[in-house]
Amino acid sequence: MCETCGCGNNDEFKIHDPHQTPGHSSDNAHEHDHGHVHNREHLHEHDHYGIHSHNHSHDEGHIHSHEHSHQKVINLNIDILSANNITAGMNRRFFEGRKVLCLNMVSSPGSGKTMILEKTINNLSTSRKVYVIEGDQQTILDAERIEKAGAPAIQINTGSGCHLDAQMVESAIKKLDIETNSILFIENVGNLVCPAMFDLGESKRVVVISVTEGEDKPLKYPYMFQTSHLCIINKSDLIPYVDFRTEEVIKHARSVNPGLEFLSVSAKSGEGMNLWYDWILKQS
Amino acid sequence: MHELSLASEVIKLAQYEADKNKARSVGEITIEVGNMCGVEAEPFQSALGLLSEGTILENAFLNIVRIKGKGICISCEHEFEMNQRMDTCPKCGSFPAEIRGGNEFRVVSLLIED
Repeated sequence: MCETCGCGNNDEFKIHDPHQTPGHSSDNAHEHDHGHVHNREHLHEHDHYGIHSHNHSHDEGHIHSHEHSHQKVINLNIDILSANNITAGMNRRFFEGRKVLCLNMVSSPGSGKTMILEKTINNLSTSRKVYVIEGDQQTILDAERIEKAGAPAIQINTGSGCHLDAQMVESAIKKLDIETNSILFIENVGNLVCPAMFDLGESKRVVVISVTEGEDKPLKYPYMFQTSHLCIINKSDLIPYVDFRTEEVIKHARSVNPGLEFLSVSAKSGEGMNLWYDWILKQS
Repeated sequence: MHELSLASEVIKLAQYEADKNKARSVGEITIEVGNMCGVEAEPFQSALGLLSEGTILENAFLNIVRIKGKGICISCEHEFEMNQRMDTCPKCGSFPAEIRGGNEFRVVSLLIED
C-alpha cells in the first residue's frame, strides 16, 4: 500500500477532485514498488516475446510430486475478470437506479474526445446535469479543461495502467455527488486495445476515430469496435485535406460489428454535433 | 499492458483461496487462456512472474492451458476453429462467425500445500 495516496499495490491509480485540495498532486513524486524484475525458474521460464508457441498440455506442469499427503488440488474455474465484472455490475445498477446515462468514451490518443466533451457540456448543461470522469496516465489537464467548460470532473491517473477499470470508476463516483437524470461521461485512457476488455458499468460505449487516422483501424483493433454501440468519426472538417474515405471506415467497422451506429462530426467547427446531442438525449 | 492488472487479479484470487484453505503455499496454478479472450499469454506470464515475488505464488509453477477458438458461421452454420476474431468461414468465406469457444480466461485450479 502506498502511504502517500493509499492506493494498493498494482492498483496505483490516483483520483483528483479539482474542487478539493488534493492529497498530493500529480507531480508530487512518490514511487510505488511494483514488482521487481527477478529471474525465476517457475513463473518466468519462457522467452516471453519469442516466436515459439506455448501449447502446454495439462500434464506438462506436474513436475512436483503429487503424492505428498499435504498437497491438495482446489478446483476453482473462476473468471479472472470476475472481480471487475461484479463491480461493473454494481456501478451499472447505481446508474440505473439514479437514471444516469453513463457513456464510456474510448479512442486512440488525439482523436478529439476532450474537445467533443467540452462542446457537449456547453450544449447539454443548460438542460441536464453533466459529470465527467477523466482517465489519463498522468496530469489533471483534461479535468481542468472539463471544469472550465462547466461540468464537475474527477481525474483518475492510472500511473502505468493503460485503461480504467470498474473499481476506479466506483471510487470516482463516490466523490461525484451525481444527481438523478444526469449524464456521466467517462473519458477512458487513449488506447484502442486494453479498455475494450474492461466493463466499467457504462450504459453505452462510444468509440471515437478521427479522419487523420487510418480507415483500417476497425480491422486492426476489432475488439474495441465490436464492443461499442456508437462510432463517432471526428474532425470531419479535415476531410478535404486527408485521404480518408468515411464509407470505407464504416464498411470495415460494420464487418466487425454489424449493429454499430455512426456519426460524422467536427467538434471544432460544430458540424454534425447536433446529431450527437440528439443521440445522447435519445439514450436517456 | 492490461496483462499487469490481470496478473495482479490472479495473485489476489490465489491469496484469497489459499487463506480460505489455510494453505502455506501454492505449488501450481493452472490458468486457461482462450485464443479469443483478448489476453496474450506471453506478456501475461511475464507480468505474473514480475508481480509474484513475495506473494503466495512466489514458488508456484504456472501451467497455462491454451484453448482454441471456435466459431459457427452465421451464413452456413459450419463450425470451425478460429485463431482470431476476423477469421472467415473456411467453407463459404462468410464473416462474421458467432464465437462459441476461446473466450476463456480463468483460474482452473490451485495445487496447495498446507
